[in-house]
Amino acid sequence: MADTVSIADKICGYLQTKMPAAENMRLSDLVHTAGGWSHEIYLFNARWQENGQPVQRPLCLRKDPGVGLLREFSNLEEQYRVIQALEPTPTPTPQVYWYEASSDLLGGPFFVMEKVAGEVPNPWSRAGKQVYAEAAERGKLPKSFTEALASLHNMDWRAAGLDFIGVPGPGKDFALREVAKWESLINQSIRKPEPVLTELLMWLKANAPETQRLAFVHGAYRTGNLLIKDDEISAVIDWELQVIGDPMYDVAYVLSDLNRVGSPLLSCVVERDFFIDYYQELTGLTVDLDACRYYDMLYAMRSTAFWLSASGLFAEGKNKDLRLARTAYSVPVVLDMAAKALGF
Amino acid sequence: MPSAHHFLEEVITSLRTVIVPAIADPYPKAQAAMAAVLLEFVSRQVEERSDIARGKEQALGELFGDLPKLLSGQSLEGDDKEDQESRLCRVIEQLYVHRSQLGEEIFAAANTRVRQTLRQLLDEELKVAKPKD
Repeated sequence: MADTVSIADKICGYLQTKMPAAENMRLSDLVHTAGGWSHEIYLFNARWQENGQPVQRPLCLRKDPGVGLLREFSNLEEQYRVIQALEPTPTPTPQVYWYEASSDLLGGPFFVMEKVAGEVPNPWSRAGKQVYAEAAERGKLPKSFTEALASLHNMDWRAAGLDFIGVPGPGKDFALREVAKWESLINQSIRKPEPVLTELLMWLKANAPETQRLAFVHGAYRTGNLLIKDDEISAVIDWELQVIGDPMYDVAYVLSDLNRVGSPLLSCVVERDFFIDYYQELTGLTVDLDACRYYDMLYAMRSTAFWLSASGLFAEGKNKDLRLARTAYSVPVVLDMAAKALGF
Repeated sequence: MPSAHHFLEEVITSLRTVIVPAIADPYPKAQAAMAAVLLEFVSRQVEERSDIARGKEQALGELFGDLPKLLSGQSLEGDDKEDQESRLCRVIEQLYVHRSQLGEEIFAAANTRVRQTLRQLLDEELKVAKPKD
């Protein structure tokens, strides 16, 4: 409790320096959420007086914990700049306010953004699946889900200034870059030989598809990473894995069984035929099911890399979060899904 | 697979240092504290499984016995002095690297046999890791 109070005071002081005209700055309803794996997330209401008038603003602070998951790939400053670049685009995102690179105040870099109104029902829970299933029946959310993804893929990412995150070359370069990126995390994390993973990696390198068109890709587009209000996507969140790459990379994630365990609906919210037809109509792209199958294998490899990294952090005593320990048991389960898809 | 004893120790530590202090309500607090005590006793009763390692060892031994025939005398790097699963990783890499020299027929036969063993290895690990239905 003392830590939370101390953090509230520090955040309050920080906001005061950023808004010199604000008087009597106070924080209320501070919650350290349990949702994030890679970053610490604090939600709160900031209240102050300005020109004699009371002002209240719901805010979200995202902080680098130093030893969270995906530390090597999830640069907080890049996240801040990406969300900032997306602000004038049709993709619903939070407004970002300030990025703080120094670790002096909170023990790690952080940024402050708008707390967008909406909920993120947990798609892994029974209650969350029920929420999404009922919304799917009403029909508005599946449309909004598909439209928000199409808005990303239709975006002129160069005009939005997003090329700073790296632009792959033509042909197979995107797929091979992604394989290499996640293989490097595996090499950093692996604690014992994983022959099934070796077979998967070699298959991925031998079967990389050509990218038809480069697009701005979220990298983890699914329910759970989307804020929902009134059956519409109020914000696309969790900007940690975005790349310029093959739009089929996102489409494959939506189509993947990894994100709909126990639900007949894609991402627990949208029927497959509707999603494919509507996405194609909105983007003018043809869903390439062979490429999607490839990227589904790549996701299995990426998930394995996540879990090896997470369980490694726990095993090495760098992070005591029991959720990380649990992931050691997820490795064979994900590899089993990949093996079955590869035919063994 | 990580050691069951190691994980039990970590769960007990988390219960005592993170979970119990954070619970204000006396009843769930006492339950969480007692769960830590019980897990200490359980930890002394648990014996690590050895059948999984034995099953893997047998599957790998059979594979390394079969591969020379499938490769028609061509050899792949893979040090038989190293850990058997590491050796299999090297063999898989070499199969793909030398695919064109081996020819598609030999590659396919060897890859199918390797995948058969990979399935056996996975099935051994899933004895512990498979989620409850």
